[in-house]
Amino acid sequence: MVDAGDRARDEFFSEAQEIVEGLGRDLLALDEAVRANRVDPDLINDIFRAVHTLKGLAGLFGATRMATLSHELEEVLDNLRLGRIDVSPVVLDMLFRSIELYGRILQVEKDGSELPIPEVDELLRELHRGFGQREQQPLAAEYDLDPGLLAVLTEYEEHRLRTNIQSGLILYRIRVHFQLATIDQALDELKATAKPFGEIITYLPTGTGADADSIELDILMASRSSVDELRRALAETGAEVEEIPRRPGGDVSGGLAAGAAGGGFDSGGLSSRPAMSASGPVSPHPRSSDPGALAAPPDSGAGGRKKRGELGSIRSVAQTVRVDINKLDRLMNTVGELALVRSSLGAIVERLRATPAEREMSLELHRLQRTFERHLAAIQQGILEVRMVPLGQVFDKLARVVRQISRDADKIVNLVITGAETEVDKLIVEELSDPLMHMMRNAIDHGIETRAEREAVGKPAVGTIALNAFQKGNHVVIEIEDDGRGIDATRLLDVALRRGLITQEEARTTSYREALTLIFLPGVSTKSDVSEISGRGVGMDVVKTNIGRLGGVIDVTSEVGIGTKMTVTLPITLAIISALIVRVADRLFAIPLANVQEAVGLDDHAVKRIDGREMITLRNQTLQLCYLTRLFGLDEEEELSSRIAGLLGGTRSLGGVRGGITGSRKLDRSSLGLSPGSKRKYIVVTAVGTKRLGLVVSALIGQQDVVIKTFGPSLASVRGFAGATELGDQRIALVIDAPALIFEVLSGGDRARPEPRGVHG
Amino acid sequence: MAADLAKKRPRGGMLKRNAHAQSGPRREFLAFLLAGETYAAPVKEVREIVKPPPLTPVPRAPEATMGIVSVRGQLVTVIDLRRRLRLTESQASRRTRILLVEAPWGELLGLYVDEVQQVYRLSDAEVEPAASALGGDVASYIAGIARPLQPSVEGGGSAHPPVIVLLDLQAILAS
Repeated sequence: MVDAGDRARDEFFSEAQEIVEGLGRDLLALDEAVRANRVDPDLINDIFRAVHTLKGLAGLFGATRMATLSHELEEVLDNLRLGRIDVSPVVLDMLFRSIELYGRILQVEKDGSELPIPEVDELLRELHRGFGQREQQPLAAEYDLDPGLLAVLTEYEEHRLRTNIQSGLILYRIRVHFQLATIDQALDELKATAKPFGEIITYLPTGTGADADSIELDILMASRSSVDELRRALAETGAEVEEIPRRPGGDVSGGLAAGAAGGGFDSGGLSSRPAMSASGPVSPHPRSSDPGALAAPPDSGAGGRKKRGELGSIRSVAQTVRVDINKLDRLMNTVGELALVRSSLGAIVERLRATPAEREMSLELHRLQRTFERHLAAIQQGILEVRMVPLGQVFDKLARVVRQISRDADKIVNLVITGAETEVDKLIVEELSDPLMHMMRNAIDHGIETRAEREAVGKPAVGTIALNAFQKGNHVVIEIEDDGRGIDATRLLDVALRRGLITQEEARTTSYREALTLIFLPGVSTKSDVSEISGRGVGMDVVKTNIGRLGGVIDVTSEVGIGTKMTVTLPITLAIISALIVRVADRLFAIPLANVQEAVGLDDHAVKRIDGREMITLRNQTLQLCYLTRLFGLDEEEELSSRIAGLLGGTRSLGGVRGGITGSRKLDRSSLGLSPGSKRKYIVVTAVGTKRLGLVVSALIGQQDVVIKTFGPSLASVRGFAGATELGDQRIALVIDAPALIFEVLSGGDRARPEPRGVHG
Repeated sequence: MAADLAKKRPRGGMLKRNAHAQSGPRREFLAFLLAGETYAAPVKEVREIVKPPPLTPVPRAPEATMGIVSVRGQLVTVIDLRRRLRLTESQASRRTRILLVEAPWGELLGLYVDEVQQVYRLSDAEVEPAASALGGDVASYIAGIARPLQPSVEGGGSAHPPVIVLLDLQAILAS
């Protein structure tokens, strides 16, 4: 049983994580807005609120570091939103650093470690030093705004008013009548209509023109639009729009003056709107004509706002449940076990059917089994869907990295993201973030040229990196494409040759595309050697390994001077897959059907040997073959001993196995022809992307849905297998990692490595 | 019987050592056979003893890895202790067992042994620290040599005072 405290802590971590991720997104938006010179004050407010919530959470769970950091940040953000400091690059950088540090702190706290994080202390010191607050100008030098009005503005509203005046916007007074019954909705609608035209600074009841059922408001708004445009936009709301004249000493807008003098509401009162509608047109605050009495404490408005923000955040999470991914794994395992039960049931039904006396019973059982199968498939589908999350989670992180790296490298990069909504298994998303980040870093560091270089060759100064994701059948494809200098394959070959990774002969015969894949070899990743060429090799072998672990494959295309494109192809889910069970010598293996194009009989006479590789021509295309017996060091001449016969006898018959619960692609039944006695071999054509490889197996056994279990760390270094799966009766089949094999065999990725050790036993 | 023999020895020193051994703290070791010799490992490190389920060899796996088995649905990598210790390998028999132990990194591993014998409770005095006695690279896997002076807790005992090689499982698994 999980301790309640532990669960609360877990909850805390995931909630904090979520907030920090949201913060990251908001900051990116802010960064963009600053560059476009159009900062939406609501954005700063959102960030402020998020940090405030974090502070509260951290305090609750005694995460002191996080609470302190939040506290200092809150101070800075408060100054930002009140305009005491500007959203300068320095401040932005500091905010981005804080996000990274939040992540670090969360990690450290989660591990329960007291490890000091020096960067946090450093940041705290910087934050504490402050950012040099600006002197506040006396408000409304140009507009002769009524002092009564000024007195009721909160500090925030005052700041917004000042900012808008400084930007040369026109101030408008909008007088509008609302029915009390619908005021909340109507006001929101009005705000939404007005928003594109400018900013609503405050609204106050006029205190006149109201009756028992309605209320009149004066809205102070700043806008770039002309009075006519605004009138047209707001025509439907029945609002009267008037420009507030812009001359010192000029006539003050009568309405505002009247509102301030006659019915002063401090905005704290206004923000508690329910109270207002309940009490009707009568002000909850005493009416007074003495402006001095109207001066609300400047904090009360902000206080009301904060509370509203907190309420909002509670409501927003109410519809979702956070679930530990391990719990889903356990459920998935159970579904796997049920799938085995289903298959056994199928066998019993078949047996009963053969008994004439039990015909009726067998029919009934058959119907039941079909229902069971349907529901089981639904459960499986449901769990898979629950595990799916949008790639946007990792893309947001990438966008932050791009910003950081391009800044460090002094290159301007425009990141264009498409398909962030594409969904993949949560585990895959988690594991993707490091490899993608690496590729992104390479694209900026080595792909995109400096501004001067770009201009010299007539490219736009701003480099572009496209990050695309889309679904393609059972796979998700992620592309990172830059318009940089591309990879010089000839020089890549030189390096590989110098480092002894390939022979002279190979260097001469390697095609351009094959040469590009050299960047995935470990030896070519030494930056000092290749940085000049393009340096793409930095750690690309690690990236390839990590992608491979997820059952994915990575490919590269590049053109010198035009750009480079990395394509990652991944399975959508990890847990249950449909697999083709094959026999190789005396062993059973499973090949994921997602990687299988077709299975055909092997005609020994059709095999040609070219350059030491075996090929056949299949459907007018050359297909390279890979004899699994040889690759895995198994005895090719293994006769069907009694042991194998037993093995095969125990395997569920084709009929029972087919029609797997995920209903995957159907293989030609005859091509599966199960004839254990025949010496004829079969080719299983596997494919990933455009690459194809024919795996030669001894026999095809059948199709089955299997639950892949990954190897423990002790076997992590073994290449070519995605894990293993139980076939029932404790018998295990290794699951072939087709993408890895394809890569290994086709690109000769194992050339530089020692021969794989033969098998024993 | 082994202990009886020891007691009959004339030298008092031996008896004294035995008396001391009985009063000191004792540790429990599980003894098993590998290529005809008796080896032992701390009982507390052995999570479970299972009859070997069908073993699936893994091509390209490290040399001493025999393959994987499924223990109640969990995949367990099985390591051949005989191969690790450079001993001769004999055919599996009905006495063959797999010891489930936890590796330092938390993975559950299986150790293949020819036969499980019994549990010995040994005092420090009955254990001779290894290293000095043996050379070679296998030496790092050996924690000591034990010469039990009395019958084991499970009784039985054997005709000859056994010499037991105590294995350092963590060192074996980590290599």
